[in-house]
Amino acid sequence: MVLSITLAQIESKIGDVQYNLKKHLMVLDNNDSDFIVFPELSLTGYILKDLVFEVHKKAEKAVEEISMSYNKSTIIIGTIHEVRKGIFRNSAAIIIDGKINYISKYYLPTYGLFEEKRYFQPGDPKRELRIFNYKNVNFGVIICEDAWHPEPLEALARLGADLILIPSASPIRGLGKIIEIERQWSSLLVAHAIMNTVWIAFSNMVGNQEEEYFWGGSRIITPNGIEALIGKKLEEDIIKGNIDLEENKRARYFSGFKDHLNVFHEILKDL
Amino acid sequence: MHPYVQERLSLNYELAISYLTNRLRKYIEYAGAKGGVVGISGGIDSSVTSFILARAIGINRSFFLLMPSDSTPKRDIEHAIEILNILGVKENWKLINIDEIVDKFKKVLDENDKRITGNIKARVRMILLYSFAQRFNYLVIGTGDKSELLLGYFTKYGDGGVDVLPIGDLYKTQVRSLGKYLGVPEEIVKKPPSPALWEGQTAEGEIGVDYETIDSILYLRFEEFRETKEISEMLGVSEDVVNRIDKMVRSSQHKRSLPEIFRVSKRAINSDLRYPREWFYL
Repeated sequence: MVLSITLAQIESKIGDVQYNLKKHLMVLDNNDSDFIVFPELSLTGYILKDLVFEVHKKAEKAVEEISMSYNKSTIIIGTIHEVRKGIFRNSAAIIIDGKINYISKYYLPTYGLFEEKRYFQPGDPKRELRIFNYKNVNFGVIICEDAWHPEPLEALARLGADLILIPSASPIRGLGKIIEIERQWSSLLVAHAIMNTVWIAFSNMVGNQEEEYFWGGSRIITPNGIEALIGKKLEEDIIKGNIDLEENKRARYFSGFKDHLNVFHEILKDL
Repeated sequence: MHPYVQERLSLNYELAISYLTNRLRKYIEYAGAKGGVVGISGGIDSSVTSFILARAIGINRSFFLLMPSDSTPKRDIEHAIEILNILGVKENWKLINIDEIVDKFKKVLDENDKRITGNIKARVRMILLYSFAQRFNYLVIGTGDKSELLLGYFTKYGDGGVDVLPIGDLYKTQVRSLGKYLGVPEEIVKKPPSPALWEGQTAEGEIGVDYETIDSILYLRFEEFRETKEISEMLGVSEDVVNRIDKMVRSSQHKRSLPEIFRVSKRAINSDLRYPREWFYL
């Protein structure tokens, strides 16, 4: 079973939903990939600060507009979701055949340059963690920081996902001989893929927002932990690749994925 | 420089240059400005900033201002002109000697203190830069580096009064090596950095240690949160030097912040009115 996937590494403008929506539509037009994955908060931009209060409505409308026009793929869009009056979540809209589902970010980074807890409520994995199915592929979606913890990805894999989509907004930190944050992301994604024998598609934002610069470098990692496709760094890119579920199968023949001692999670529960 | 710090501060030059030039070009575009004006002193910071500005938007949309005073070494003016020659700048530059303006201030104020008049020089330059920026609809491109910004080694609303600081997250030693890579003449790269606000003033002379040591202390203290004793042992400098650098950073925090506003309302401007700069285009 081979499915096609597009990672839409676009440069969103902070708070300019109309502009960002146009960018989304340009990618979606004439794209017949099975999965089209935009970065985290792709409709709104990431460094929003108090603009969260001003742009959420426009973003929700834009998601609806996209869902009504495109019903041939599974589309992942980064947006803000108002779960009740005045309560916002950093969310991904998962549009399958025109139907909108939302998942929210569980871990909200609030350190260094990040201040997500000021504005967003975290998702509740107990109520919301779920996998989806499209063309017989089980997949799950987590957002950026959730990939810096072992459990969200592991839980999706154990629920049956063979493909994990990770919309992200990772800004450059540690530009020296290499981009340090890229090295860290690469290591994390490869390790997740190997441990869980899943395909991973990481769609990262690119470009300038306030003092930060998102580095792009979106990529697809095989269930064996090979970085099969890597997008351009520091500039926009549309990365197109395929995933083949036979690779998950082959990776599992010689992997410990079938073993899971949930007693560790019982211990973790009390820590 | 201690190899541990050296390793962590080394740069991929091509990556750094393309990153900084790309960002500067976009910053100018997003601001709706047509170009950038930079004050050049013949020192390493303004040389590197000029190279980056020229690469970002081209010399036709850049303007270079030389603003020497009686305390500017003649060699610095020659170096600044050398940079203009290397960049191929023929028309978009001007030399204004600021002595006449500074003398006027000195006379009106009846002031001769070298620090006060030194700051006046820096602020006069700021006024000139902004006047040209407004005339051309350009931005004022600052030349401060991370070492100077952290130490507070700049004049508030003088050379600190700028629109953007392209090399503000690079330490002096990083700027030097970037300059060398970019083709800034070795004499400029190697000469001791000086604000030249009075004759014979050098940063290292005032602080008492060289920039390799200053940058190492700044890095270890503020990026790795290391204790005085550990830094002192690692670098082979006295604890007094580490503490002095530390104090300079802490006591200049006000220079790196917007003026404090005493809260009265429910939504105060600095603390609660938190919008990105991009707010303006929405």
